[in-house]
Amino acid sequence: MIEVDGLTVRFGGVTSLDDMSVTFESGTCGLIGPNGAGKTTFFNVLSGFVRPAAGTVRAFGEDLLSMVHFRRARWGVRRTFQTEQAIEQLSVFDNVAMVHEHAWLGGAGRRRDVLDAVEFVGLDVDPWAKVATLAAGQRRLVEVARAVVGRPRLVLLDEPAAGLPDTETEHLSEVIRRIPEHAGALTILVDHDMSLVSACCETTAVLDFGKLIASGPTAAVLRDERVVSAYLGTAEVL
Amino acid sequence: MPSWQDFQPFIVSGLALGGVYALSGVGMVVLYQATGVVYLAFGAVGAMGALIAWSLINDAHAPGWVGWLVCVAFSAVVTLGYGMVFGRALAKRDPLIKAVATLGLTLVLFGLMDLLWTTSGGESRAITLPTDGGGFTIGQVQVDWTQVIGLGAGIVITVVTGAFLRYTKLGTAMRAMANDREITATLGVPVRRVEAAAWLGCGVLAGVAGVLLADLVALDATTLTFLVISSLAAALIARLRSITLTFAAAILIGLVHDLLTPITSLTNYRDMTPFVLAAVALLVLSRSRVLSRSREEM
Amino acid sequence: MVGTAVATARPGQRSPLLKPGTGTLVRAGVAAALLLFALFGLPQLLSLYYIDSMTQVAVWSMAALGLGVLVGRVGLVSLGQVAVLAIGAWVAARLLFATSQPYPLVLLEAGLITMLIGTLIGLPALRLRGLYLALITLMLAGAITVVLATANFPNGGHGFFGYNGSLVNIPPIRRPGVAGSDPAYFRYAVVVAAVMFLLVLVHIRTRPGRAWAAIRQSEPSALAAGINTWFYKLWALALASFITGVAGGVLAGADHYLYSIDFPTYYSITLLAVVLMGGAYSLWGAIVAGLLWQLLPSVLQTWGVSADWLTILFGVGVLQVLTTAPAGLADQVPKDLARLGRLLRRLARRGAPARVARGG
Repeated sequence: MIEVDGLTVRFGGVTSLDDMSVTFESGTCGLIGPNGAGKTTFFNVLSGFVRPAAGTVRAFGEDLLSMVHFRRARWGVRRTFQTEQAIEQLSVFDNVAMVHEHAWLGGAGRRRDVLDAVEFVGLDVDPWAKVATLAAGQRRLVEVARAVVGRPRLVLLDEPAAGLPDTETEHLSEVIRRIPEHAGALTILVDHDMSLVSACCETTAVLDFGKLIASGPTAAVLRDERVVSAYLGTAEVL
Repeated sequence: MPSWQDFQPFIVSGLALGGVYALSGVGMVVLYQATGVVYLAFGAVGAMGALIAWSLINDAHAPGWVGWLVCVAFSAVVTLGYGMVFGRALAKRDPLIKAVATLGLTLVLFGLMDLLWTTSGGESRAITLPTDGGGFTIGQVQVDWTQVIGLGAGIVITVVTGAFLRYTKLGTAMRAMANDREITATLGVPVRRVEAAAWLGCGVLAGVAGVLLADLVALDATTLTFLVISSLAAALIARLRSITLTFAAAILIGLVHDLLTPITSLTNYRDMTPFVLAAVALLVLSRSRVLSRSREEM
Repeated sequence: MVGTAVATARPGQRSPLLKPGTGTLVRAGVAAALLLFALFGLPQLLSLYYIDSMTQVAVWSMAALGLGVLVGRVGLVSLGQVAVLAIGAWVAARLLFATSQPYPLVLLEAGLITMLIGTLIGLPALRLRGLYLALITLMLAGAITVVLATANFPNGGHGFFGYNGSLVNIPPIRRPGVAGSDPAYFRYAVVVAAVMFLLVLVHIRTRPGRAWAAIRQSEPSALAAGINTWFYKLWALALASFITGVAGGVLAGADHYLYSIDFPTYYSITLLAVVLMGGAYSLWGAIVAGLLWQLLPSVLQTWGVSADWLTILFGVGVLQVLTTAPAGLADQVPKDLARLGRLLRRLARRGAPARVARGG
């Protein structure tokens, strides 16, 4: 369970997150909102790249914000980014193993854990192939594998389906749905693809201009008037 | 420890030098704000312009003002040319790449200068301005007009640029571009023309600085090319943002550097002044920085 | 080039570090052959004039290697590596005059002390990124250059600085007993360089190399993966300083007499230029950089062409590399040759006009 209380982030004159208070219970939770709503900023707070002006985040009872950013991975935070982050010159195995290595999960089970993760995301390639030789959709799967390897506690997925064709989004959707059960992690999914969010997330929270405007069961949230009008203000239409 | 009297002439020379550093620093800051380029070739361009002026005056016997004009024109043209070709080609790249590219230009100019105006043979060149001879005295210190021009130019350029940025359409456009180039373009601002203006302005200042520094310091390719570091130091102390701060920092650098001259125990280290001040400023001012982005996307 | 999946993980498959593929073996073979040629062939073929240049190539290839680790592997641009080289040379000269330690020990000490100094000075700078980091290296290097100019290089005098301004007959910096002559010293330098390259290779193929690749790709992503980016950047800085320090030591013995004007500030810029042109990422690129900077001027000099043309060339090279071929010559030339090879093979196989080669 992730409890966010009064989280406020300011950059110069802009308030990116405005007194955000929400609880992510378990399983896969969605986080949606129009562009600029603060979703990636929220992830950046969780990753430790941004220091909030106010507020706390308690993750499974522990104060997440007091941890140094690179140690959060050891604690169990994993994340994908909007832009491609898989390292091209390294192999699939090395990419995933690196996360395992720096999470200090021990060398003994590393090989097994890495191959497990690669298999879990359904990546059907030679693990020693260099990522540079993979297609975009496969690289995305490598990133998801990096996010689920070992024993993560919190998995943050930032627009994993962006730019993918429908078939690959389908596959990704199935993978994401199985993450909580396979890895025992709480997953927060940010995406603009509403069908993906509906398919994967039991609960969803909605941000608009840094403020939380709705949260609860996904189906109900997506029909909420305030959410609809927030989106109709931009080019995104449900 | 030298006496107050010993320091006085160095206060004057330090202020004059600081003024020219301010002039250069402001030029670099404005260009950086408008284009994201730290123009490290600033010194080299002015140096070559000054050498061309020297050749015109000494070999072609052209009148002084023609030489200075050619120097400024040369610097302006080369800078504008670079900006239109390479500035544009690298427009979307990281500021680091853009800065390193200007180092490429610096090397080209540096090589050309050594090729065309070789320093082997021990001959030294000098530029004299008509304002060198005359002057006045403040108390016991001799001040010549060139030094006044140095400081004056720095003050004038800082004030004028400040007003320009705040009150004119072109200046406001430059400030907008510093903030966000793409949004500014969508607002209908002719981004390319604004950039061209910024490059041109910077080039002109480089030429002016070249003439003044050639007179106040030395007409030597290496010296002039790397004096840009002092102006850069001032600009860095101002976080490449505030031109008033650039001015203040530049004056400080000029003063400290020259005031160290009569102190025998430190005089050999006075050339460290801009380096040390800039390094300290960079470190102190970056203390509170966390890895963060100000926009939604990474 | 986009390939699609071929096979799933085979149970017995092992890491490429333990079972190198053919590509790696070929490259290792070529490297070994070139090394042997350099050690035994070149001294026979070249005149003393060119042997001297090649010794400089060895030295500056090491400096380029150090800078390449920073720029190519981690993405940190340093505009002050020549100042580090100067420190290494200074330390080595001081030790060589003051002690009678064997040469390899002196080189090691020079490397370690330079590593310490470089790391300590660079430590606070690591907080900065990109442009600001590069600029602060310029500032720090400038400061160091001034200090060295004032302190002067050791010339056999006494005292901490080992400099005696009034010395008339300055003793030359000694060379190792086994490598006194120029050709012998050249071989010595090549061996030292080979060791440095090997050192970097080992780093690249193991954990630090992978961490550097992650940091270069994206620092936030590396942090999110749990990599202590500050620590690995420090490691890269330490390695680069060590190698450059050793290079400085070799330079001391090569030149016999050191002066601060041998290490002007703008050399750091030229070094960056040749590293970019040779290819910052590839180890071969470091050798290309050394050749560009130390061999070409010698060649030009024999033709009566001024070395200034090279400075101009390097400036143009920087602009060209940054605007078109970011990976430099060492990357571009093999790619172009490979493309040519594919084209020729297709011509030979089909006996018909070849289509334009894709990818590469």
